[in-house]
Amino acid sequence: MSLASIRIAGLPNGFALMPRRGAVSLFEIGLLIACIALVGIPLPQNLRDVVVLTFLYAGLALAWNVAGGYAGLISFGHAAFFGIGAYTSTILLVHAGVSPWLGLWVGALASAAAGALLAVVCARLKGPFFILSTLAAAEVVRIGALNWASMTGGPEGLSILPVSSLANMVFTSKAAYAALMLGYLVICYAVTMALQCSRYGYFLLAVRDDEDAAKAAGVNPLLVRTGAMALSALLTGIGGTLFAQYFLYLDPTFVISPELSFQLALLPAVGGLGTAIGPVLGSFLITPLSELLRAYLGHAAAGLHLVIYSAVLIVVMLYFPSGLAGALARLAGGRKPKL
Amino acid sequence: MTTLGQLVFSGILIGGIYALMSMGLTLIFGVLRVVNFAHGEFLMLGMYGAWALSTAAGLNPYTAALIVVPAMFLFGGLVHRIIISPALDKPHLVVVFATMGLSIFMQNAALMVMTADLWDVPPVFGSSVAIGPFYFKAELLIGFAIGLSCTIALRWLIRATYLGKAIRATVQDGEAAMLMGIPVPRIFLITFAGGSALVGLSACVMMPLFSVFPTVGLNFVLIAFVIVVLGGMGSIEGALLGGICIGVVQSLSSYYVAPAFGQMFFFILFLLVMIVRPDGILGQKGAATIGIKD
Repeated sequence: MSLASIRIAGLPNGFALMPRRGAVSLFEIGLLIACIALVGIPLPQNLRDVVVLTFLYAGLALAWNVAGGYAGLISFGHAAFFGIGAYTSTILLVHAGVSPWLGLWVGALASAAAGALLAVVCARLKGPFFILSTLAAAEVVRIGALNWASMTGGPEGLSILPVSSLANMVFTSKAAYAALMLGYLVICYAVTMALQCSRYGYFLLAVRDDEDAAKAAGVNPLLVRTGAMALSALLTGIGGTLFAQYFLYLDPTFVISPELSFQLALLPAVGGLGTAIGPVLGSFLITPLSELLRAYLGHAAAGLHLVIYSAVLIVVMLYFPSGLAGALARLAGGRKPKL
Repeated sequence: MTTLGQLVFSGILIGGIYALMSMGLTLIFGVLRVVNFAHGEFLMLGMYGAWALSTAAGLNPYTAALIVVPAMFLFGGLVHRIIISPALDKPHLVVVFATMGLSIFMQNAALMVMTADLWDVPPVFGSSVAIGPFYFKAELLIGFAIGLSCTIALRWLIRATYLGKAIRATVQDGEAAMLMGIPVPRIFLITFAGGSALVGLSACVMMPLFSVFPTVGLNFVLIAFVIVVLGGMGSIEGALLGGICIGVVQSLSSYYVAPAFGQMFFFILFLLVMIVRPDGILGQKGAATIGIKD
């Protein structure tokens, strides 16, 4: 008997133990309760940082997955959307005193517009050509941000005054940030679940798997892709603002770096593309691994933590190409998700 | 006018070196369609090799090539055996992510062993060469000459030899090639290792001109991808032309605009080429889609 077929007595029919498309499972509820517990229980400061970053990256990985996993738009330029979101809200805050709660939406919309533009511009490109174009577009944004010093502060970066209040979205307790990031993660997860069950979600999968067949069935691939990229960029932009409010400092060499773009793509790839739980599992495994390795090995030898981290990545990619979610699905006896 | 000429000619020379650097990628990405994101780190490894041989054994970087090139050939074969070959029968994203992992791995292994310091070799030739009113570093001229001769040799290899035909047949239709008796896995191995050897050669040529540090590859890998696509996927002479275009654009824009914007220009150039003519300048029609798995 496989795990997927186990039903718990007293629960409504279709309430499964392991994650499935279109239904909330006990696994996900258990994970959420564990996350809330992580926000609530007292933790040492450095572990608190790891928790905050793990939630934020899980949300960002889910956002990337909307375009990369469901629509097949593999982007190595998502750091640009992250940066546009972060810089828009921070510039509004620093230069005009606009509250980040409002700036967040302006940044998210600016990011969504940039995402839609990129999808339209690169509409004809496939495979590695699309990947390289997103990388090049993000580099254009990074160099632009670096040189537009009057607005972005250029290479010196942009700092947010640490005046803590709810209206400023600046908190003294890390637990408040953890709660904020968990809220972001839950929103991204809910959007992904809603996408999975919706007609539009099926359009995305159709266009990803066979564009010609989808076109023949009356789906407009350009429209569907543009929408997916805009939604993905919108969520990524929100994550950018949250990041800015957490670190209170922005600088283009990290916020819009190719390294960040790679990270945002790697987490869902390790977790399992095109599944809702995959990007979350990817971040829950990889982010603590990389942060803790950095904390404990960073002093021993510069670079050692990334050597171990990248070796793990290579092994996971070669031997578990459908990611952690695929391993989980095999465990549950369900169908293997398609990469 | 002399300034403009000097800038254009310097751009052409540096472009020839960029072309040499992307020649290996033309084989690996342009011909085999394997996206190797660790290409820049192969260059970094070759540059450290050339630096070590010139510092420890007193060779100049050009004679060091006699050791670095075969060593990089073996290294390429090893990487193909361990990472590329197991990834090829999986979805095409696996290669992308696995080579990206390799890139992070090599960068940080280099950081551990060599630290983040910049290393140089002493100049091979003391003075610049004057041609008419223009002055050039002798290393630049030699680099350009090597780039040009590699273009001609590689073009001959791909167009006229049995090996070249086997490589092209493998890319166009692997199954049919296998039925014709071409040892497809071995062709992949040889091409990948050959591409790596070419990166080793360009590392030796670049060592007298650039410093080496763990993330040096990052600066060049994007340029190399831009050149391969700009010239037309798999087109050897296209890569030379693409390299020269990038060299001239960079040289002019960093003088007339600002060095930082020079980079921005060639990314914009790349995006324009992708939008307007994805087959590149000299690519065959449809070259951009051959062998791309959907």
